[in-house]
Amino acid sequence: MRRARGTLLIWAFLAPSLTIFLLYRILPLLWNAALSVQTWSPFRPSAFAGLIHYEELLFHDEVFWTSLWNTVVFMSSSPIAIALALGLALLVDTRIRGRGVYRAIIFLSYPLMTVAVGIIWRWLYDEKVGLINYVLLSLHLTQRRIAFLDSYEWAMPSVVVAAVWQIVGFFMVILLAGLQNIPPNLQEAAALDGASAVQRFRHVTLPLLRPAIFLCLMIGIINSFTSFDLIYVMTGGGPNYATEVLITYIYRVAFVLSKFDYAAALTVVLFLFLLVLTWLANRVAGGEAGAVDAAE
Amino acid sequence: MRRTLTRIVIGLLALGVLTGPVAAQQKKLSLLTWNIPIYKEKIEGWIADFKKIHPDVTVEWFDKKGPEWGPFYQTQVVAGTAPDIIDTQGAIWLDYAANGALVDLTPHLQRDAAVKDYYNPKFLHTWVYEGKNYMVPFYVSKTLLFYNKTMLNEAGITRPPQTFDELLDAARKMTKGEKSGFMTLNFDWLYWPLLAMNGVELLTPDLKKAAFNTPAAVRTVEALAKATADGTINKVAWTGRWVEPNNAFASGTVGLYQAHSPAFFYVRGGGPWINGDTLGATQMPGGFATPNSHGLGISKSSKHPELAWEFIKLATSEKWAYTFGKNFKLFTGTRVDGRLMDELQKEDPLAASVMKTQLEHVDKLVATWPLGKDAQVKEAFYSEFQAAVLGRKPAAAALAEAERKVNRLLAR
Repeated sequence: MRRARGTLLIWAFLAPSLTIFLLYRILPLLWNAALSVQTWSPFRPSAFAGLIHYEELLFHDEVFWTSLWNTVVFMSSSPIAIALALGLALLVDTRIRGRGVYRAIIFLSYPLMTVAVGIIWRWLYDEKVGLINYVLLSLHLTQRRIAFLDSYEWAMPSVVVAAVWQIVGFFMVILLAGLQNIPPNLQEAAALDGASAVQRFRHVTLPLLRPAIFLCLMIGIINSFTSFDLIYVMTGGGPNYATEVLITYIYRVAFVLSKFDYAAALTVVLFLFLLVLTWLANRVAGGEAGAVDAAE
Repeated sequence: MRRTLTRIVIGLLALGVLTGPVAAQQKKLSLLTWNIPIYKEKIEGWIADFKKIHPDVTVEWFDKKGPEWGPFYQTQVVAGTAPDIIDTQGAIWLDYAANGALVDLTPHLQRDAAVKDYYNPKFLHTWVYEGKNYMVPFYVSKTLLFYNKTMLNEAGITRPPQTFDELLDAARKMTKGEKSGFMTLNFDWLYWPLLAMNGVELLTPDLKKAAFNTPAAVRTVEALAKATADGTINKVAWTGRWVEPNNAFASGTVGLYQAHSPAFFYVRGGGPWINGDTLGATQMPGGFATPNSHGLGISKSSKHPELAWEFIKLATSEKWAYTFGKNFKLFTGTRVDGRLMDELQKEDPLAASVMKTQLEHVDKLVATWPLGKDAQVKEAFYSEFQAAVLGRKPAAAALAEAERKVNRLLAR
């Protein structure tokens, strides 16, 4: 009887969160999946359409493949950001003076609104009045101004740099926490055994940082799939789809072209892609990344 | 306890009986406008005037910025609370009209013949889909060619270009260092006069097939791509939307600029060099122009379409059309425009020289295809056209691919 009451109490506490989760996550997800096999618009009643939208996106829609590829490229900013953040975390983990200030400065980019970050970087990259072009010209690193965000070659790398700049502080904090959780006696024992700094980093620090790195990787992957605002503000997906990622393409299809049913099919693909990636990342991390945390 | 409950129930019932008829008498109209919060005071004036004639009607006003307008309207349609009266820009209305979301205003215009005659027939016709008029003009604009007189003089050019070749020649002469000769706005088919002046048609007359993949179109696109590659055409022409091209022209480093009339006020605000001696305005070669007007229409789901029509008539009436045109130095696509033009000549000759172009050559409006899939066709064509003019694809290959995409869209 007491156990039943306990269970009831647990469910009672969980109910508000679960209700919100059900209403705002599960139901829209199910409705989205249903919508993807229908023809529907705000102005027409729905009708079953089978897999017509999936056929369209797989076999006829070049922009879908371009945006999928761009998403993968954009995702590559995560390992870059993690590597940078790890370097920074190692630096600010040393006993240098003012390390607290350095940590704060590096972290400051993260709490900024993404829209603000996009606008700041858009100005920095501006062809006529941008600081980056000014510096490059002043240092004679280029003879002509570069239209970073209007050029096919430069647009995506430029957006990736902005994304890395914003997230690196957050990753640094996670990795710093991971570094500080490594018992110092392990490092000392390795040093006593004659391990060099590089060997200690490779065989002690890195394996013990694996859960933190995995967490950063997951956040990075999810971020790259949902990074709508930064790209929308900086390039709007252009020029000519050069920075179009799946999430901006879904928005364009739904709200510019009014093809909500097709956008639903794209969203299902995005969801499946994310699911596969998460599974793969978990496998790469040893298959039990979460369990390591639990054991600790 | 039982007595208390009974009293509460009786009280609630009495309240319902008393307030019910009041609520039933009050009718409600909603109005959704496109990015004119600055016009708040005057819109409240419409509502006040309407209230005097219809004291039983409450009008609720919403305003949304361009990018938010479509998503907002569509979500309201889904929620069953679509605004009764809508103000739309460009060709966005076509999608709604084709899907039966708008009230056909043709019977209203036939019934109110005087009202129909009051609107400029050429502009009114731009809101016809399958023989039915879905919107009436609220304020009108079309593309024109702005030119930087100083840059033209420096390049030894004595008059604005009269043909496509002259346009590119003049632009090439003005291109030097940071300066580029030509730029255009590209959204909503605003670049189409460049193709129209070379005899390129988008579709066959029955609107069922692409007709643009011709040698003339290939030559035109090749010429535009070459001019873009050598800096004669500022790349922003093909990559920017509204702010970027306007800022570039306002900076005084672009010789010729094809844009619609509202760009003038933006550019003048940001370009201290601009005055009657330095800025000129004329038609694009051949007089071709793409309209990009604002119209007022009624949602099909409106419970009070007749009242909504009355409201539209009031909002576009002589009094309010004049007030709007006077305030914003814009034309309204009504008979009031002649008077507005006369007054503008006296008050602001430079603005008048720009606005004069808006009332000329209204028989040369292009890119007004009544296509339900306008947005999709536009995207399919522009993505390939843009790739060609930016040098990513040969013109012939891009146009062939655009033709395939457009035909596929039209066939579905």
